[in-house]
Amino acid sequence: MTSTGFILQQLVNALFLGSIYALIALGYTMVYGIIELINFAHGELFTAGAFIGLIVLSALQSVGWVDSHFILTMVIVFAMAMAYVAVLGVALEHVAYRPLRDASRLAAILSALGMSIFLSNGMMLSQGVSDRAYPSIFGAEGITVMGAKITNGQIFIILLAVALMVALQLFVHRTRLGKAMRATAQNRTMSRMLGINIDQTIRITFIIGPALGAAAGVMVGLYYGAVRFDMGFIFMIKAFAAAILGGIGSIPGAMIGGLIIGGVEVLWAAFLPSAWKDVTTFTLLILVLYFKPSGLWGQGDVEVRV
Amino acid sequence: MKKIAIVIMCVALIAGFHGMAAAKTLKIGTLSPLTGPYAQDGTDIKQGVLTAVKVFGKLPGFDKVEVLPGDSACDGGKATMAANKLINSGVQVVVGAYCSSATEPAQIPLMDAKIIMITPASTNERLTQKGYKYFFRMPPRDDVQAWSTVQFLEKKLKAKTLALIDDKQTYTAGLTANITKFAKKDNMIKIVAHEFITPGDSDFTAVLTKLKRLNPDAIYMGVYQPEGSKMIRQARKLDMKSTFISEDAVYHPKFLEVGGKAAEGVYLTFAKAPDSPERRAFEKTYKKMWNAKSIGSYAYYAYDAGMMTLAAIKKAGTADPDQLEKTIRENTWPGITGKIKFDSKGDRKLAHIIWVVKNNKFVPYWNPITGKDL
Amino acid sequence: MIRQEIKKLAVYSVFLAILILPMVGFRTTHFEAGRAFKVLGLFIAILVANFVAKVVRSRRGEDQLQKVSLGDRISLRFAEIPKIYTLGLLVAVAAVFPLLADNYMIDVGITCLIYVTLGLGLNIVVGLCGLLDLGYIAFYAVGAYTYALLNLRFGVSFWAALPAGVLMGMFLGCVIGYPTLKMRGDYLAIVTMGFGEIIRLVLNNWDKLTAGPNGLFGMQKPTLYYPGFHDGGLHLSVYSIKTLPALYYMILIIALLTLVGIRRLNDSRIGRAWVAVREDETAAELSGVPTTWLKLLAYALGAGFAAVAGAFFAAKLSYVNPNFFIFMESCIVLCIVVLGGSGSIPGVIVAGFILIAVPEIFRELQNYRMLAFGAIMAIMMVLKPDGLIPARRRRVQMAERRQLAGESNE
Repeated sequence: MTSTGFILQQLVNALFLGSIYALIALGYTMVYGIIELINFAHGELFTAGAFIGLIVLSALQSVGWVDSHFILTMVIVFAMAMAYVAVLGVALEHVAYRPLRDASRLAAILSALGMSIFLSNGMMLSQGVSDRAYPSIFGAEGITVMGAKITNGQIFIILLAVALMVALQLFVHRTRLGKAMRATAQNRTMSRMLGINIDQTIRITFIIGPALGAAAGVMVGLYYGAVRFDMGFIFMIKAFAAAILGGIGSIPGAMIGGLIIGGVEVLWAAFLPSAWKDVTTFTLLILVLYFKPSGLWGQGDVEVRV
Repeated sequence: MKKIAIVIMCVALIAGFHGMAAAKTLKIGTLSPLTGPYAQDGTDIKQGVLTAVKVFGKLPGFDKVEVLPGDSACDGGKATMAANKLINSGVQVVVGAYCSSATEPAQIPLMDAKIIMITPASTNERLTQKGYKYFFRMPPRDDVQAWSTVQFLEKKLKAKTLALIDDKQTYTAGLTANITKFAKKDNMIKIVAHEFITPGDSDFTAVLTKLKRLNPDAIYMGVYQPEGSKMIRQARKLDMKSTFISEDAVYHPKFLEVGGKAAEGVYLTFAKAPDSPERRAFEKTYKKMWNAKSIGSYAYYAYDAGMMTLAAIKKAGTADPDQLEKTIRENTWPGITGKIKFDSKGDRKLAHIIWVVKNNKFVPYWNPITGKDL
Repeated sequence: MIRQEIKKLAVYSVFLAILILPMVGFRTTHFEAGRAFKVLGLFIAILVANFVAKVVRSRRGEDQLQKVSLGDRISLRFAEIPKIYTLGLLVAVAAVFPLLADNYMIDVGITCLIYVTLGLGLNIVVGLCGLLDLGYIAFYAVGAYTYALLNLRFGVSFWAALPAGVLMGMFLGCVIGYPTLKMRGDYLAIVTMGFGEIIRLVLNNWDKLTAGPNGLFGMQKPTLYYPGFHDGGLHLSVYSIKTLPALYYMILIIALLTLVGIRRLNDSRIGRAWVAVREDETAAELSGVPTTWLKLLAYALGAGFAAVAGAFFAAKLSYVNPNFFIFMESCIVLCIVVLGGSGSIPGVIVAGFILIAVPEIFRELQNYRMLAFGAIMAIMMVLKPDGLIPARRRRVQMAERRQLAGESNE
């Protein structure tokens, strides 16, 4: 393996992992932007998406659709997982977060933590404690460029992640609802006075954020081949770090934050002692926040908002 | 608030007292993680002991044999609490614990209370090196397994270079440390890299790509099954040429299920399990009893621990710890994981053999003691 | 009113069905309807009970509902009894507890008291100063490892290692406190969480010093020296705090000292200044409160108390392992503080016992226990966002707010 090939390969690895982190981080950042709550249950929503994807995909595979209608199968799998988790997200917001909208921050965070523990244990009870294998859709085939290999599965997933992010960006900037979302994030009281339906806006945020998380969950299942009830935790920590690094509340910030966290993790492990890769990620995060207290793309002082 | 406190205390008192029961009941405690990420293995251990009690049937001198499951949660504090709870319920024997980091603190109260403790899973060498009289271990120690691995690499694979990966947990770090020690002693294999991953991670491509460039003859995966199955899939996708070898924490039906085609050709160390009618009978009973499709490897050890305990009590005619300890140590017991005979420290002379994944099955491959193919 | 409640009930039921049914019922192979409906039934029962309670309360009239809620009533009744009696009673119960209980219950009691001590320490940071800390368990780890290393490497006794552990904890408290001084609110969450993970990973990776994932084993138990007559003269005898009851009394004393210390701090100028920082940092700064110094002090003191608990934990178990100090532990301590009522000392004590002892009682239920734990946590927060026993300062504020609301309604 040549040095160029090696570096390129590691960049591919970083890009892939980074896109998944970015997709999950978007869920955090959107929810935070709107209601200023760290949605600790987001990692569990992501896992739930992976499980629903697994259930649908297994069902479709048993009738042989994976081979005959590949694209349609993928559309159904992703749509079902995203739709289910979106409903779950709305339900979560309704049951656990809405009553606490005017309570102290800590109460809301604890409620989120409680829901995270609840969902994670619910999934453990229903889906079992050990890994569940995803049907193997993507093999080892791929394209090799200058010694670096990118598999078909990776290409598919990266393209899908980019497509979702572009769609989100268009939604937020080009539609009325997106505008309402941005307005609510900036100033909730003012938006309400101007006639924006706050409840509806928040509900839409809790549809989109979790749905993106669910898509990431299915991607993780498809590519890594297994899902487990507690896999959301590690992804949650990294994605959370990514969202903060990019400046929480900022959508491009979360995307770039995800790529940075994925990149640091992969490149540190690639060139330096791999035992310290997580230490490095967190240290970098602390350093960035020390010099730029509201993250790389943060909009100044978030706290001042009422 | 006072009322709440009183209610809590009453409930606690009731919970504490309900352990007392009629005499002439033999109580066997199990100590394994019934909650958390290792709950599967922990449940296997509990079920293995329960199966043994059912298969053994009536124990002379006792009206009833009761199994009290304790949850160690793979955590030191919780394990001592669970151990103290078992002591209070009057157990005579404890089968457990699973994680070495839970077994080690739980040993203290159990040994003080003179309770026979048989671990079906913890392999850290230190556990049997403290001179505890009542402590026994069913699986072979870490260094035995590491020795088998190094023998295989040197004599069968004739590997010149080796890279190690471990996830920095008590068990896996113990294995890789021992492999390093044996490899350095023999000086036949050069260890070119020692990389680490985080337990629970999914993506190992960074470390694998790093090793792909070094291209060692063999790569040792010192990880647990969830990480192992994902790792081997990614390694195959990266077209790595090295031979992969792993250990008994990866020897799990899930490795074949998740790994699929990628798992083909991976070598694993796992205790030698002679095929016997008893073993097959156990597998049949266990699957029927627990409605299980496959059997986790710790269920076998737990079953053996349970069967041996009951047989020893039958032979000794009492559950008195000193006599029971003597009986267990002085005799050789039949078992589905091989003959059970403990040395003065409480370890078995049990060897690992090398297995290979072939046609999505674990197949015995090579015996490091005889140096012959199987 | 009733129609509104029925509508709400229906909506919640449907949402819960969506939330729970597939989660509990589905598996790729088969559908376990029975289990799903059991759980669903339980939740609907809770909802119906809540509905009935609301209807009953609404019959009794609106203003009564507004005047005193259940929590307030309890706390008011509680306040009527002279404090010294209740305190004395509690201490007396705690003191005779080991005489009545068996070893397991004492062990649970010890664990509860450790967590109460941790909760009291974190209460300074979160409850009084209002800084969200998700990595608090790191200081507990630091205390535990400092004692373990000093004892194993240099044979330092517990009492000599304790101040070293506290200093180490306080130092690291400042180290994490310093970069976060500029940050506000939720950025702190990730930084403290990251810091907690860093400490755990360093303990796990630094094999030469900490034996890595193998953990450290064989620390001595704390010893006490007391004068006594034997061998025909006055000698110092050694008593090793080894049995569970002895360890229980030791942690009881530690918890009581922590409690007294924190109460004194709470009522001092520093305590009031912390609350000022919590309520409005800018206003506090403008009023001449040295906010930077106070925040650092909060971190350092909180860390110090955690280090004491950690050293005790290491001595009690004679074993430490980096795995004991995972993120979830930080969450549990935070839960104790917030569930009990941020800034409230009795709240922390009650919540500590509820969160540690009650799940221990229900250990037989195994995994359903944690499911219920999570659900109850969320439900508790929704029903009582200010915690079980809100701090007195908060209670006063709430009463004021209610008065204001009442006036504006008229």
